[in-house]
Amino acid sequence: MESLLITQAINAVYEILILAVLVLGLAVVMGLLNVLNIAHGEFVMLGAYCAYLVQKAGFPYLAAVPAAAIACGAIGLVVERFLIRPLRYDPFETLLATWGLGLLLRKLVEFGFGRGFRSVDIPVSGSISVFGEAYPIYRIVLMVISAAVLVLLFVWYARAPTGARIRAMVGNPVLAEAVGIKTRQLARNTFAAGTAWAGVAGVMIAPLTPVEPFMGLTLIVNSFFAVVVGGMGTVTGLFAGAGIIGGLQSVLSAAVSPNTAYLAMLLLSILFLWQRPRGLFPRS
Amino acid sequence: MLTSIKTSRRDLLRAAGVGALAIGAPAIIRPAAAADTLKIGVLVADSGPAALFGPAQRAAAELGAATVNAKGGILGRQVEIVFADAGVPPAEVAKSAVKLMLSDKVEMIFGSHDSAVRQGVENVVKSKIPYVYTPVFEGDDCSPNVYFLGEVPEQELQKTLPKLLEFTKDKTFYLVGDDYVWARTTNEKAKKYIAQIGGSVVAEDYYPFGAPNRFESTVTRIKSMKPAIVLQTLVGGDNVNFNRTFADFNLSDDIVRLSCLLEENTLMGIGKDASKNLYSSLGYFADIDAPQNKAFIGELNKKYGDKAPQQCTISKGLYDAFVFSAAVTAKSQSLAAKEFAAAAEGISFDTPSGPMTMKNRHTIKNIFLSRCDGTKFTVVDTFTAVPTQQACT
Amino acid sequence: MASFLVRNGLILAGLVLVPVFVGEFWAYQLGLYFLYALAAMGVGLIWGQAGILPLGQGMFVALAAYLAAYGLLGLGPSPLAYLIIPAACLAVALLGFVFAVTIFRGRLEQGPSFSLITLALTLAAFQIATTWSSVTGGFNGLRNIPGLPGLDGFLDLYYLIAVVLALAIATVDYLVRAPIGALWRAVADNERRLAFFGYDVAALKAVAFGVACGLAGLAGALYAPQQNLVTPDIAGFAFSGDLVIFAAAGGRAAVLGPVVGAIVVGVLSAELRGRFPWWEIAIALFFIVVVLRLPGGLMTLFAPLKRLRLARSPVPRPSQAPDKPRIATPLTVAFEEVCVRMGDVTILDGLSMQTGDEAVLCVIGPNGAGKTSALNVMTGALPKRGGRIVIDGVDVLRPQPAAVARSGVGRKFQTPSVFQKLTIDENLAIALWAGRWRGIDLLLPSLFGWTTPLLDEMRRRFEFMRSGAKPASDLSHGERQILELSMALLTEPRLLLLDEPCAGLSHEETAAVIDAIRWARHYLINLRIIIIEHDMELVRRLADRVVVLHQGRFLADGSVEEVQGNPDVRAVYVGGTR
Repeated sequence: MESLLITQAINAVYEILILAVLVLGLAVVMGLLNVLNIAHGEFVMLGAYCAYLVQKAGFPYLAAVPAAAIACGAIGLVVERFLIRPLRYDPFETLLATWGLGLLLRKLVEFGFGRGFRSVDIPVSGSISVFGEAYPIYRIVLMVISAAVLVLLFVWYARAPTGARIRAMVGNPVLAEAVGIKTRQLARNTFAAGTAWAGVAGVMIAPLTPVEPFMGLTLIVNSFFAVVVGGMGTVTGLFAGAGIIGGLQSVLSAAVSPNTAYLAMLLLSILFLWQRPRGLFPRS
Repeated sequence: MLTSIKTSRRDLLRAAGVGALAIGAPAIIRPAAAADTLKIGVLVADSGPAALFGPAQRAAAELGAATVNAKGGILGRQVEIVFADAGVPPAEVAKSAVKLMLSDKVEMIFGSHDSAVRQGVENVVKSKIPYVYTPVFEGDDCSPNVYFLGEVPEQELQKTLPKLLEFTKDKTFYLVGDDYVWARTTNEKAKKYIAQIGGSVVAEDYYPFGAPNRFESTVTRIKSMKPAIVLQTLVGGDNVNFNRTFADFNLSDDIVRLSCLLEENTLMGIGKDASKNLYSSLGYFADIDAPQNKAFIGELNKKYGDKAPQQCTISKGLYDAFVFSAAVTAKSQSLAAKEFAAAAEGISFDTPSGPMTMKNRHTIKNIFLSRCDGTKFTVVDTFTAVPTQQACT
Repeated sequence: MASFLVRNGLILAGLVLVPVFVGEFWAYQLGLYFLYALAAMGVGLIWGQAGILPLGQGMFVALAAYLAAYGLLGLGPSPLAYLIIPAACLAVALLGFVFAVTIFRGRLEQGPSFSLITLALTLAAFQIATTWSSVTGGFNGLRNIPGLPGLDGFLDLYYLIAVVLALAIATVDYLVRAPIGALWRAVADNERRLAFFGYDVAALKAVAFGVACGLAGLAGALYAPQQNLVTPDIAGFAFSGDLVIFAAAGGRAAVLGPVVGAIVVGVLSAELRGRFPWWEIAIALFFIVVVLRLPGGLMTLFAPLKRLRLARSPVPRPSQAPDKPRIATPLTVAFEEVCVRMGDVTILDGLSMQTGDEAVLCVIGPNGAGKTSALNVMTGALPKRGGRIVIDGVDVLRPQPAAVARSGVGRKFQTPSVFQKLTIDENLAIALWAGRWRGIDLLLPSLFGWTTPLLDEMRRRFEFMRSGAKPASDLSHGERQILELSMALLTEPRLLLLDEPCAGLSHEETAAVIDAIRWARHYLINLRIIIIEHDMELVRRLADRVVVLHQGRFLADGSVEEVQGNPDVRAVYVGGTR
């Protein structure tokens, strides 16, 4: 009996990266715009359904990425205009409104597709050998893509002009407006980017999770914890959150038991939230 | 709690107050149902985690009612179904059951839902009317005037496990399930059968019910321990997720999987790429090649055309409930608890999955061991008249 | 008092008479929704009043239900079984209070973290309830729980539930209108300001949460005998979320809001779900519309009813507020090499200064000199990196706003900070009660009648304060400045910190304020005032002594003339006319 420690280690890294990618859209919206979008999971779900439809229509899987980004981004623009902006980006009000939105999206998809599971085929099947242990290729591909995206995003946010504008808007919206940054448009585009990214994340995970209208609900809880425990508004916070919520669970699940892992994750979240209410690495 | 409806004075006041509340009040003051129809309350999953079975459950129930009515109904009366949602919390299903009894005046209740809801319904029915519980469950419930048509773990595993050894290289078992009563009970019973056939359990993993579970850690452990058989008591999304992860890590070639609740809808979710060497042991599959099943599916297709929902053991049980009730009442000529129970014991009736016989308020039935081929089931072996080992009186 | 009794009497009568009109089944069904309404009222209290969103009230309902179940199983037919209801309610309320006070202690303004802690707890509670089968009966639940002795039939338990609900509504009604209700709303409005009056904000929040959990406990304690079955699903997030939806849909700030929400949404859901497959889409849309258009929930539709006067509205009888214990000497403050850093920026760079004999000390300096920061670090709003702050001879290591306030420091902030959503009278009352209330005073509506000579004087000088029922948000900027100043004075502090008290005031307002400050200085004999000001005219008229800060350090001090003649001061600080 091999202990397959390398595989378990890669599992943990995979969990962290996948959670970071899933949470990215939410971290952007919550950390930068202070909007609590509890329908985030539903945007991921919509992305997964896009992937299903694209695959069923016979197109290459990669085509699902722009499809999901456009679809979810468009819906995000509509949501921003009619839900977020009228509520003046208030955290609690947007939480409630997006709760209703989540209900609505779930039900609409249920009406369209039914409650049954849809199966999305893995676009790249097979395994490759990593340090002597075989690991599924698709997951490795996802990990590489996730890492690349996160690094690129970090660099972009720190260096690019739009990144600077967003940072300005977040730091001092009145002043930003005064120097000519179109904060309304910027906020709207940031929100749509958050939802578009959720859709793309859905495309990424669709071959790996059961695709059904309520799949968003299982995702949203962990996502919220990851964002708030890690700290809102910083990329370090995103990694820390994903690391604690995703990585810890994976490690404990392998070492002890899945039940213990889940309870430990909840307990740890409570401890961190208690001692560091703003998260481990909040935007100062 | 269900004491006799109070005085007629209250009836008068009720009639006087009808203007007060529009919703519901008309239902209460509607005159008692015409003596021709026999109302049966049917609890189906319209919402909640099992809602994917809802349409199939409704279709099966309606076909059951139509079939029974074509042969003269129950006790000479035409059967009328009143549906209620069993996917809501047990307290609310119990409330619906009370409404079915008090206001719709149903004379029987059929239920296809989980055990928590069943206990809630049993609490309010309190053996006043026969309650037929149809789906797969853990057994060990002897509530009076409740009749169980579904598969119990003893039936699923007794004959199946020894047969399964034909496809495996040794007798090591890995148990993985969701952490709740049905899974734990099934595994406890499974361990007995495993010991009987000289097998051993190398590990047992339980996953929190309703949590966002990922299965890479268990799959990796399975990969390292290399058991012969993985016995699964996972349900719903977890069932799909685990099996896909399992196949993704390339374990399907060498390790056999047996699920205790894998029906057609879940197999669709698992997908053709992840179902190699995956077996399911249940009392019914929609593709069973038997004349009664062909007739059943044929009738459904005729009635609903291509909108016919996919049938599975969970939904077909409701059809059985109608056949069962017709058979029992033909013998008992009454719905009263004592007469019904006496007539039910030992009764045999024919269902799409073959004949069923009631013993100790559970049903001896056929069990099918199926292997997954792509997204379809192929029956590998049929075990006839498998006993339930339940000792209810 | 009369209107309170009439209002709640009508509610009780209405609830009790319901079965007469709708029959047994409906009474049974409503009984369950009344229990939901009880728990939802708790959500309304902690959220609508204190502004804290609880995402896990289901856990407290479940806990009480399991406790009650065991109690009933143990006591069975004995009449002692009725004691289980208050016992479970109190146990859960106490647990909630202890939990909340632990989480809130020492932290202001937690944002989403408390909500998420309750969410995590409720998820954990569901898992524990599902897997700990030996104690909780696991997923299938704890069954065969006996009902309460002597209550058979659907109706009897309905009456008990109806009475309990009416009593709970009356209690919440009372609390909302009591001083503590105003304090809760102040917490939601401006927690920081409330702490600076010396109130123990954590304890206030914890009391609100404790009451909310008590309501959840009542719901749970009655749930067990009503259902005779307790399943883990009530502990989970789905039910907790439903409670929030009930409170939001009905109107979380209104006493009856959550009740209306629970009954309307619950009953409509149950009735229409079966008949219309698109019912849940309708309810999602309805919810979105409520959030967007009816932030007050369904109760806003009943707003016209408020104008119906059922009885005389309670007008508090004016009474003299109790005196605060007076210490004869003003507060002395000394800064010794105090350093404050925020990230890379040094805000205070070894600041050393102290109060002397003067009654009014003005602190001046160019922008960014650290004037407000000095006040902030002294009152605990900014963390101190180095140095000592000595207040009344005691080295205060980690100043906490409430503790500093209780030692006799009053503060008026740079941007006027009052309780916007509260009325002027409530604002003044909250300032007045600080440090004067004892024991259960905060439950007595008579506190709204408290007055002091200082309050009378302020009302006399500033006319706008007499229309006390106006919300503070209606005031102009200048009026809000004056209101906040009066509130600070009402606490009769030994040290009053004024941060630009005349900023944004008109000429007349400025004169009135200066006059009021002068009057207060003589009325409150142990008062020392530290004023941060830019306007040299004001400084000339008020200051006994001036301290000049520059770049986070002490630069010079002395009388107004001495400072104005100081070449160093001239060099860094030009003129200073407005």
